[in-house]
Amino acid sequence: MRNLLNFLAKYNNLIIFLILEGLAVYLLSTGNNYHNARVVKGIRGTTRRIEQSLSNTRSYFRLREINQELALENIRLKNAIDELTKKEDQLFFSVTDTIYHQKYLFSKAKVIDNSINKQKNFFTINKGKKQGLSVDMAVTSDESAAGVIVGCSDNYSIAMSLLNLDFRLSARIRSNGYFGSLSWDGRDNTHAVLSEIPQHVPVNVGDTIETTGYSAVFPEGIIIGTVCSIEKPGGDFYKIDILLQTDFRKLYFVDIIGNLMKTEQIELENSFQ
Amino acid sequence: MINSILRYSLIFFLLMLLQVLLFNNIEFSGYVNPYIYIMFILLLPFEIPSWLLLILSFLTGLVVDFFCGSPGMHASATVSAGFVRPHVLRLISPRDGYEPGSDPSMIIYGFNWFLLYTLVIVLLHHFVLFYLEVFRFTDFFRTLLRVMLSSIFSISFILLLEYARRGK
Repeated sequence: MRNLLNFLAKYNNLIIFLILEGLAVYLLSTGNNYHNARVVKGIRGTTRRIEQSLSNTRSYFRLREINQELALENIRLKNAIDELTKKEDQLFFSVTDTIYHQKYLFSKAKVIDNSINKQKNFFTINKGKKQGLSVDMAVTSDESAAGVIVGCSDNYSIAMSLLNLDFRLSARIRSNGYFGSLSWDGRDNTHAVLSEIPQHVPVNVGDTIETTGYSAVFPEGIIIGTVCSIEKPGGDFYKIDILLQTDFRKLYFVDIIGNLMKTEQIELENSFQ
Repeated sequence: MINSILRYSLIFFLLMLLQVLLFNNIEFSGYVNPYIYIMFILLLPFEIPSWLLLILSFLTGLVVDFFCGSPGMHASATVSAGFVRPHVLRLISPRDGYEPGSDPSMIIYGFNWFLLYTLVIVLLHHFVLFYLEVFRFTDFFRTLLRVMLSSIFSISFILLLEYARRGK
């Protein structure tokens, strides 16, 4: 007993150090998981108010830019409406279409906290479960891919940014349809890497890269970026450097896209595996 | 006693404010993320018991984690820094020891001493922090470059702040 007490007295610092370090590593391993953003969520709750006011201040300084973005978007939407109404005049369609089901649900939100300077970047948006958002919905900014929602509280959600070492996305070359896997290598917040494209495929600098619908998260055909440079690292596959379409430094208004038939697709796929 | 608790609370508060409002928003190619809050651990008095130092380190790290949304990462790095601080202080102590009742500052012990002290602890803190962040050893040297560049910036800012403190 005395020996034990002596031992404890002698090494008490080391013991406290190990306990605290263990606690920290435990938090680290449980809190930063892709799908288990629970701790992040809980902790974010405490600092959310500060983030919100910070975001308000920041957006005040960017009002001019935001105005321009909105004006441009308005023009685009007006054009789209015009095209659609013209089509409706000419086409014949049944009003009660029993085959058509809405597949995607769209929603708009604001980014209230964003980071781009880490290796694992996340951003927070100001809508949550009560507004119909849920985990695994896609986030796009100005029609181009930005991230995936990994955690929702009642009124806020956290999305994993495309600029995250754990982010994976199925992407294809628009011109020929060959698909590969898109990830971020942690170097530059304007570039990402497309891998698993076989070397016999013709790829040119400037080709558009878009999403495939395979993962059931992103709809098909959302633009990711353009080919910036092509490397042949040996082996059978290219390593293609992609200039991202989304400017993550000024991510502010984002669209949330939820796939209403995701569970159906995943259940079907799982039953055949 | 009460006086020094107040003083350190003020330092803590100011450093956190600087870190969260200013330094967390620095976006410079992703290689430079200065973390100056570690200065709080540097400035604590010499006589502080080791267990209190460790617990304060843990709490400091945890508060920064709250704001970065990365539970445990900063806490882990800061606790390591708090653990080595007494050993570093012993290694680099001046010939006639530290004056009783003083705290680590540039005025009393000189620029070179303070630079060495800051260098060792900041480097260790950043090393632990950045490797925990990527959590892999691929691209070892790129992470090392991030550690070095960020440390240079952190150390410069800490020295500047220490100068400002001296001016008061």
